[in-house]
Amino acid sequence: MESLYSLQNIVCAYASKTVLTIDHLEVFSGRITCLTGVNGSGKSSLLELLGLLHPPVKGELCYRGKPLPRSGKALQQIRLEITLAHQTPYLLKGTVADNIRYPLKLRNLTQREQDRLICWSLQTVGLGGFEQRKSDQLSGGELRRVAIARALALKPRVLLLDEPMAGLDTAQSDVMESILTRLSAADLTVILSTHDPALPARLCADVVHLQEGQLAGRYPLPTTPETPLCPDRLKMQEA
Amino acid sequence: MNYFGESLGTALSLILGLDGEVLRTVWTSLYVSTSAMSIASVLGIPLGLIIGIHRFRGRRLVLTGLNTLMALPTVVVGLVVYGLLSRQSPLGPLGLLFTPVAMMIGQIVLATPIVAHYTVSAACGADARILPTLRTLGAGPLESAWQMLREVRFVVLAGVIAGFGRIVAEVGVAMMLGGNIRGYTRTMTTAIALETGKGEFAFALALGLVLMSVALGINLLLNLLQQR
Repeated sequence: MESLYSLQNIVCAYASKTVLTIDHLEVFSGRITCLTGVNGSGKSSLLELLGLLHPPVKGELCYRGKPLPRSGKALQQIRLEITLAHQTPYLLKGTVADNIRYPLKLRNLTQREQDRLICWSLQTVGLGGFEQRKSDQLSGGELRRVAIARALALKPRVLLLDEPMAGLDTAQSDVMESILTRLSAADLTVILSTHDPALPARLCADVVHLQEGQLAGRYPLPTTPETPLCPDRLKMQEA
Repeated sequence: MNYFGESLGTALSLILGLDGEVLRTVWTSLYVSTSAMSIASVLGIPLGLIIGIHRFRGRRLVLTGLNTLMALPTVVVGLVVYGLLSRQSPLGPLGLLFTPVAMMIGQIVLATPIVAHYTVSAACGADARILPTLRTLGAGPLESAWQMLREVRFVVLAGVIAGFGRIVAEVGVAMMLGGNIRGYTRTMTTAIALETGKGEFAFALALGLVLMSVALGINLLLNLLQQR
């Protein structure tokens, strides 16, 4: 199993406040990894770190075995392999197709290839035919799925999702979960944050549990339903 | 009231009759102000984006300076630029004083802070998720700034309109730097001031009506663009 990210003595801070301290963490490629923990435990900060949006103030972050450059073209090149869909994603003004097309244009794909990827990605998330819908006329669930479609169209090596299930009703959650299950079958590394303690088991995912900005547990793929996944799940079972 | 009514009638006949003097004056105004506004936008929008997006030491000071420049009296701008372009100054040999170019320079100084200020407000008030989203989609710094501008274009456009409104309606710079030369640097505002002084109220009123129509037209254009 190839190590995709390797974090060593990482410290992340916003406005001089430390939000994340991780001594050591490896994230493997081609797997789904769920980040769990209560609000403010550092899940989003870790996702933003892995999405290369905020560099750490201390420590070393390696991507595919090499330390990440701090800035410049090399970093920009790696960014093209990673994409993050935020918890409340921002869609650009215009149509759904415009939104998916924008990053494809940045990658200098032909018009034909852009059209093909727009169609494919929307169908993957179950929104086929939504191309001409205005981005400000979508429901919360549709908006999140368009953001995932936009990320998928880029054929990223790493897909980061910040609480993709939050605020979705049961039907929408089921759709999202089936999308994630399909993604896990593809050659894609998915790292997502969640509050649902049962989700990692349903997705056969690795678990990274965070507490107050620190790594509180690292759980491999569960083999039986009884295998504890994270303290949240343990508590739930005990209850 | 009768005097005003008669003057209004004469003014309308001058406009509808496409009076040469009126047309020349309107053309000078629009040509000078549109050129100045285009250059002010090219300068002010990127400046506003840089100040709005980046956090740097002295940013507050720059913002205060920008706010102060927005309130600059036009005669002060006229005075300073006059000093720079007059015969004794280093730029004197260029012979720009009392030309449309001199008026444009003064109007650029007036309009750039307005456009920059609106752009700063637009960038600061924009959705905080825009830049991280663009970065995660693979946009570099320039592409991010361009897309950010597209997202907040209506506020920036309002700044351009406000800037144009200020310079097309100002008298100080046009009078001091243009010299109000008939058929060359005479604008609607300087002509209104002159003709009113001469007692040619109808002519001044005709130009006033055109000036108001220009303002109305610009606002209608903005409304149309915002509804798109």
